[in-house]
Amino acid sequence: MNDPYQVLGVPETATDEEIKKAYRELARKYHPDNYHDNPLADLAQERMKEINAAYEQITKERSGGNRPGGSGSYGGYGGYQQQYYGGGQSSVLQQVRIAIQTGNISRAEALLANYGDHNGEWNFLKGAVCYRRGWMDEAKRYYETACQMEPDNLEYQQALRYMERGTRSAYRPEGGEFGTELCGGNDLCWRMCCAYMMCCNCGGLGGMRFCFI
Amino acid sequence: MFGYVMPPLHTLPEAEAERFRRAYCGLCHTLGVRYGPAARFILNYDFTFLAILLSDPQEGGVGSGRCMANPLKRRDFLEPTPVLELAADESVILAYWQSRDGAADSGPLRGLKYRGAAGVLAPAYRRAAAFRPAFDENTRRQLCLLGELEAERCPSLDRAADAFATLLAGAAAEIADPTGRRVLGQLLYHLGRWVYLIDAADDLKEDAASGNYNPVALRFGLAEGRWTPEARREFAATLDHSIHMMATAFELWDFGVWRPLLESTLYTGLFQIGRAVLDGEFRKRRRMDTARKMGKQQTNDIQQPD
Repeated sequence: MNDPYQVLGVPETATDEEIKKAYRELARKYHPDNYHDNPLADLAQERMKEINAAYEQITKERSGGNRPGGSGSYGGYGGYQQQYYGGGQSSVLQQVRIAIQTGNISRAEALLANYGDHNGEWNFLKGAVCYRRGWMDEAKRYYETACQMEPDNLEYQQALRYMERGTRSAYRPEGGEFGTELCGGNDLCWRMCCAYMMCCNCGGLGGMRFCFI
Repeated sequence: MFGYVMPPLHTLPEAEAERFRRAYCGLCHTLGVRYGPAARFILNYDFTFLAILLSDPQEGGVGSGRCMANPLKRRDFLEPTPVLELAADESVILAYWQSRDGAADSGPLRGLKYRGAAGVLAPAYRRAAAFRPAFDENTRRQLCLLGELEAERCPSLDRAADAFATLLAGAAAEIADPTGRRVLGQLLYHLGRWVYLIDAADDLKEDAASGNYNPVALRFGLAEGRWTPEARREFAATLDHSIHMMATAFELWDFGVWRPLLESTLYTGLFQIGRAVLDGEFRKRRRMDTARKMGKQQTNDIQQPD
């Protein structure tokens, strides 16, 4: 295992409080909520395991090995991927769920293309496939259709809610708000960008340069 | 690409701003060494960002020299490395095909500058394509697909953006480490998606006037290229999902000394540029900047006879 202090990005001389702060920041960054249905969620999960192990080891060492399980690390999260098992009765759509769950998006897409009944579940699963592909706009529209067809289905509602508000609580260093429309006021933002454009004389023909094509 | 991706250097320590300038000048220098002075004109912030993303965790050797743009003051620049060469080759291929694309899309008069650019870049392109045949083929394929989607006036944002996003994701194909390739592929896919969408948003009014294809206007049914509050909210949300995908990918790879620059670009710069484009300020600023430069030029011309 790597040096636990290195994993947490703190020196060995760090206080307990500093260690806890560093750990919390990393846990927020790699939290399953921040990698919800993300195609790279498996890598985040590995990173989270490493961070938890490092934090456990440091707290154990510092307490003289007498605090089993007392580190307060974030364990047993709900998981990085939405559970796609379950759902309706159709065996084809069941196979689609398994394909999404195992990351076989092409298979999920092919199965959906050959399935004629475009019911609520079909639209929900189509949305999930679009999301994995990075087709965010279409994902939202399929989730909306699924919710319209089956307004009481909690699974579909949850997916739509995430598309509508999910990035607002996304990780941003030092806890700032995440969002284009939340960027601290037009004037301030833009003046800040311009400040650099005007002064960048580094390699262009002076001032801001855009590609001429 | 289009010059939308830039770090907010004012918020970073001067050492980071200098690092960005060394990378910018390093890519310019590498373009010059590899393809001659004409190729340097394709340089922009997006290509520099691409070079930084593909970079090794540590900076390479630093040289110092004067250039045409700065004949009086010496500038530090990164010496050519295999990564800068990769970024330079990919930049030339992208710039060449985009100028060809621009020539095909524009009328005989407006297309002149694109045809001129493609003509000047042609020798550089032939060499770059020989160095990176797979990237060239992917770029050609995706731009061809994009051309077809534009011709049929595809109303799907995602489908149109996917072609450009897949094209840019191809820039990660030569990364040796499989995890790095996967992480950077995902980051570049969403960077391409964001750039394509923000460019379409920036062109809304111009495309409405000229009747050119604009996926954002078609998707949201915008009249005269004007945002409705609902459409703007939805569009900003889809941009944010892509920025989130970029940020979550970014956190899974070791970018070494480049981390502060990349972090501030992804978590701050993209939001600022996106907001400025949605407010119509980005384009206004660009026009003012061009006018300012031209005004300066004219003043110089007038003053010379005295």
